[in-house]
Amino acid sequence: MDEKKAAILGEIPRLRRYARSLLRDRDSADDLVQDCLERALVRLDNWQTGESPRRWLFTIMHHLFIDQMRKVNRRGEAAMLPLEAREAQAAPAEQVESIASREIIDALQAISPDRRAALVMVAIEGFSYAEAANILGVPAGTLMSRIARGRDELRGLLDDAARRRAIRIVEK
Amino acid sequence: MTRRDFSERDIHMALDDELPVDERVAYDVWLEANPEMKARSVRYVADRAALRAAFAGVLDEPVPARLQNIVFGEAPVKTAPSSSRWWRAAAAAAMLAIGGVGGYVAGIDHLGLEDPAEDQLAEQAIAAHVLYAAEQRHAVEVPASDKDHLQTWLSNRVGLKLVAPDLAAQGFQLVGGRLLPAGESKAAMLLYEDAKGERISLFVTAESAEKTKGTYGSEEDGPEAIYWLDKGYGCAVVGSLPRAQLTAVAKSAYSQLVAGLAS
Repeated sequence: MDEKKAAILGEIPRLRRYARSLLRDRDSADDLVQDCLERALVRLDNWQTGESPRRWLFTIMHHLFIDQMRKVNRRGEAAMLPLEAREAQAAPAEQVESIASREIIDALQAISPDRRAALVMVAIEGFSYAEAANILGVPAGTLMSRIARGRDELRGLLDDAARRRAIRIVEK
Repeated sequence: MTRRDFSERDIHMALDDELPVDERVAYDVWLEANPEMKARSVRYVADRAALRAAFAGVLDEPVPARLQNIVFGEAPVKTAPSSSRWWRAAAAAAMLAIGGVGGYVAGIDHLGLEDPAEDQLAEQAIAAHVLYAAEQRHAVEVPASDKDHLQTWLSNRVGLKLVAPDLAAQGFQLVGGRLLPAGESKAAMLLYEDAKGERISLFVTAESAEKTKGTYGSEEDGPEAIYWLDKGYGCAVVGSLPRAQLTAVAKSAYSQLVAGLAS
């Protein structure tokens, strides 16, 4: 196995984590990683020597994610998929999440995809502003405002969740 | 040491390790002198720790064979992206993101199976109450000081002749109201407050085909809804008052609303 493939293999755990934070559902997240790896292998020649495999792969995956989100929004399919959507929202049974984890994962899913990606890139994946802006293909100023708004939105959603939990309104 | 004014933007930069080294000391001094900003910073640090913890386990999971096989070249590499399911999750995420917090609450009703109409009304009313009654500065869109406009506006939007009941006899003053989504239609929410700051809300919608009434609430000590539906309208009174007191308020509100509808 050549070096490039070994490097790609080494990035899979982090790609899976990023995908999971974007999509929540484990199988859906792995499907996104699969699409990313397939595209990467087809374009192996585009990978410049010296370019970080992580940055290259994250860029590919981010484009797949954003393209699909745009198509979904344009076609309005979100509104037509209530049952599938519900299924996708449900945490897989084998995934043991604490209440705190579930709440923050739910809150993260509720903020806009652009803000979610920016926040996750920096706060979880540990990219610098410059790296994250490069991967997401936006100016640094845009990245910063997405991070700031994303954090603020997340805070509001967590406060709401805590309030709902305290009052236990709707039993499902 | 650099002298400059700091702002909330710097909190994010400091948190993300993007603040220039020679500004850090001045930033720390500024943060210590601004308790509100300090609290914000502490909160963001905690949220980030929770975020990292929530996804930390993913790195330790074994990599699924189907992903490894792609890299090893043991699976046929397709040129077109797989028609995989992940975009459905993306669709769900988009749906939740569209309405922000309001959409999140409203979205839950659309995700569930169809509940009986009265349960939906009560649940929507309780959800709205929980969300907005807790707000101090943004509880209502139109304040009680603009009552005439409030009544006209909500009547036009909801499609009912709506008169805000006078609940002074029960000790409640009108705070104001707001317009909300209710299933396929719209609802008016009127918020009241007593001298102790206890709040109740009235939730009125024009959509109802059946005639029923009752009470609804979880068995926990959360707010309770007393509701009634008649042909052409539905109403719920929500609050965390003792049952007898909430019933008295609901009766008064009911008679005034019905009188208003007929006027």
